[in-house]
Amino acid sequence: MNWPDLSMGGYGFYVWGAYLFSLFAIVWELVSLSYRKKAQAQEKTSRQVLRGNANETTS
Amino acid sequence: MNLYKYASPSNFYPLAGKLIPWFATPAAILFGVGLFVGFFIAPPDFQQGDAYRIMFIHVPAAWLGMFLYVLMAFYAAIGWAFNARLASMMASSISITGAMFTFLSLVTGAFWGKPTWGTWWVWDARMTSTLILMFLYIGFISLQSSIDDPRRADRAGAVLALVGVINVPIIYFSVQWWNTLHQGATLRLLGKPSISGSMLWSMLIMLAACWLYSVAVVLIRVRCIILEREQNAARFAEVTI
Repeated sequence: MNWPDLSMGGYGFYVWGAYLFSLFAIVWELVSLSYRKKAQAQEKTSRQVLRGNANETTS
Repeated sequence: MNLYKYASPSNFYPLAGKLIPWFATPAAILFGVGLFVGFFIAPPDFQQGDAYRIMFIHVPAAWLGMFLYVLMAFYAAIGWAFNARLASMMASSISITGAMFTFLSLVTGAFWGKPTWGTWWVWDARMTSTLILMFLYIGFISLQSSIDDPRRADRAGAVLALVGVINVPIIYFSVQWWNTLHQGATLRLLGKPSISGSMLWSMLIMLAACWLYSVAVVLIRVRCIILEREQNAARFAEVTI
């Protein structure tokens, strides 16, 4: 096992830049998916509440 | 076991939920192993030094960008030809991950190009055709989101996806058909790979990790799409009744 030279032989900006960008892209995808799921859950809850209110007013 | 029952979104929804951890967990492990092999075991390249390590994310991203486009077009075609709702939903779900990997391949390629070619970007055949692939993904996503009726959106998207699939062999063979800055194929089906041991293993492990990650994310997103379309249908029914 070789400990990698963090400066990547002078190419650190390019190598770490590429991996950091990839990490951001993956995190962005996962975070946007979790927001999408949360928004769905909220909409489901609000629709249930609205339906409940509608039932109360009509009964 | 009747597998056809999983063609129904309502039956596929719980199955997808069960499958997600089986893809997400190995993906996380393989990302760790691939990066370990790539950074701690693989030696520096004799010409490019450590700059070549960008390959471990660039090549899997580029392969997945192309492969996911073909898969998206396949699902879109199935959805269009057989009116299979789940297949169209899968195509929509794949498009965002495919676009993300294509974008990643372009950006990581620019990061690799600057130290090795001396430029961030050139209009060579492979880079230009990959940029066109990115635009095709963006076009597919924009087209689908601009049409309110999901069935019409699926059909329109399918036409674009099928027309655009011609670009994938152009990307793949561009290094053979034209003079480009890009090197030829590193891996061949019948020949010996042009890179050695630990470098090859790291790339293959990262490819497997990206592939498993894609499956997990596509399954999570398709579950969202199934729910959204059901909610929209329910809302429409409430309004019309």
